Amino acid sequence: MIPFLEFIHLAKNYGSLSALTEVSFLVERQSVVALLGPNGAGKSTLFGCLLGLVHPTAGRIALRGQPITDADRVRFGYVSERVALYPQRTVLENARLFARLKGQTDAEATRQLERVGLASLGHRRAGQLSKGMWQRLGLAIALCGEPELLVLDEPFNGLDPVLLDTLRTILRAENRRGATLLISTHTMSAVEPLATHVAILLEGRLAAYGELHDVRRANGGDSLEAAYHHIARQRHPVAQAKEAA
Amino acid sequence: MNSESAPVAIMERVPPRALEARPQADRAAVFSMRALRQVFLLAGKEFGDRLRSGWVLACVLVWLGAVIFTSLFGLVQIGHVGLQGYERTVVSLLNLVQYLVPLLGLLLGHDLVVGEREERTLPLLLAAGVSRGRLLLGKFCGGAATLAVPLGLGFAIAGAAIGFSVQDRALTGFLLLAGSTLLLGLVFLGIGLLISVLCRTRVRALVTTLLVWGVFVFVLDLVALGLLVSLQSPAAAQEIEVLCDTTHLNASVDIHTAFDLPNNAPPSEPTSSLTGSLSWVLLNPVALFRAVNLAAAPDQAALLGINGLLAGVWLAGVLGFAAWRMRRLDL
Repeated sequence: MIPFLEFIHLAKNYGSLSALTEVSFLVERQSVVALLGPNGAGKSTLFGCLLGLVHPTAGRIALRGQPITDADRVRFGYVSERVALYPQRTVLENARLFARLKGQTDAEATRQLERVGLASLGHRRAGQLSKGMWQRLGLAIALCGEPELLVLDEPFNGLDPVLLDTLRTILRAENRRGATLLISTHTMSAVEPLATHVAILLEGRLAAYGELHDVRRANGGDSLEAAYHHIARQRHPVAQAKEAA
Repeated sequence: MNSESAPVAIMERVPPRALEARPQADRAAVFSMRALRQVFLLAGKEFGDRLRSGWVLACVLVWLGAVIFTSLFGLVQIGHVGLQGYERTVVSLLNLVQYLVPLLGLLLGHDLVVGEREERTLPLLLAAGVSRGRLLLGKFCGGAATLAVPLGLGFAIAGAAIGFSVQDRALTGFLLLAGSTLLLGLVFLGIGLLISVLCRTRVRALVTTLLVWGVFVFVLDLVALGLLVSLQSPAAAQEIEVLCDTTHLNASVDIHTAFDLPNNAPPSEPTSSLTGSLSWVLLNPVALFRAVNLAAAPDQAALLGINGLLAGVWLAGVLGFAAWRMRRLDL
């Protein structure tokens, strides 16, 4: 059976700097993959390659065994680390623009705004929204058209507990509907209840990949955070030197 | 799942030919209904944003004012104030158009892409399934509408005012000016869009825009004159005179004077030799614009054809280069 999504020997160099080196893993349909790693590990570059924003130096990404095209990306939803929208346009106009670009109706945009609790603010300019509302609008846009793949770059950053809970509820619902989720985050406690799989990137290399409970068990931790630190210590030369000392 | 062993298995499962075939299919789909819808949406968004920001209204007012005031005061040098006929208005407007319209096109185009890049909305558009080619096309179409509406309205309203007040029916030259002005603006909009793709920041794009404007409007003419002077031949001397006439519009005063002769004799033929050995000057769209609008009647139709053709070549060149560069951008 052809896997849903495949990263195949993916590499990206910026001049002499290697952002990604030989990254290969499979993502099963309807799984929730937590992509972990320190700043500069290559998480955003990996997402950039997936979304067609960054050209890989080598390797490729396949969706159901085929290279990803712009037509496929219409069925993706993306929430960037710093949500960027058109501040001079209203909430509704922003949502409708992206819904229409994806071939969806205005009603779908309205439905997703209702879902994230922004329906009553449809005529407010996006520039007047608070940070939390701004992120909700970004999420509503990503959800338009029932995407089959949701790519979320640091979605839990700066969220208050209520909003965090709302976001997790929505993401669970999306996953139950059939969506595959790729979530990059530093907030491991937030992603752990959702994740089915974990990928850990360290210095552009895939340090570990597998099902959540396997990764936890293999790395002697009760929690994802403990497993992550165990793997990071093993791989990081400075940490290794400290442990040896 | 083991990360070390998985890639080998993956490579075996994905047929290489299938991986290569899909981009071609995607390129073919550029002209699908969905693709056209995306282009239309992006163009509409661009025009809507400019309309909302007051750009379009400001351009309409500036352009309308420019045409009317030029027509009113174009003959002030010979002591005449009042709306002129179409032909005199055309001559009076040439100076203004050759400086203002390239600048307008460049300013409109220079932040179309780099602006989205700086605001970080470009990745969101691309992640929504908009291809880079469609994005460029949509941006260009939106910019073209933003340029065409003020120019069209300005020419239409001023043209109607001149027609009614002066009872002039010789509209051909005025229409030619309107058409060639739009072509000039579109070429520079395309150049502006290319600058927008090549530059990483708005500030850099703006500085480049002003430099490019200076090169096309001033430097290229000076280079052409310098080359001709260096030839030191009698033919070159003749062509220098022609170039001076068609570039820096002292010629317009001569033409006005000619209009005021008792027998209304036509002006000397300043551009008749522009289709000769000096034709390379016309590679500059600004020089071509001047030549088309100052040309003696027999050359006008040919030069208008060349104008359209060269504008098309310029647009194809700059948009093609912009698309090529855009495809290679990492965001």
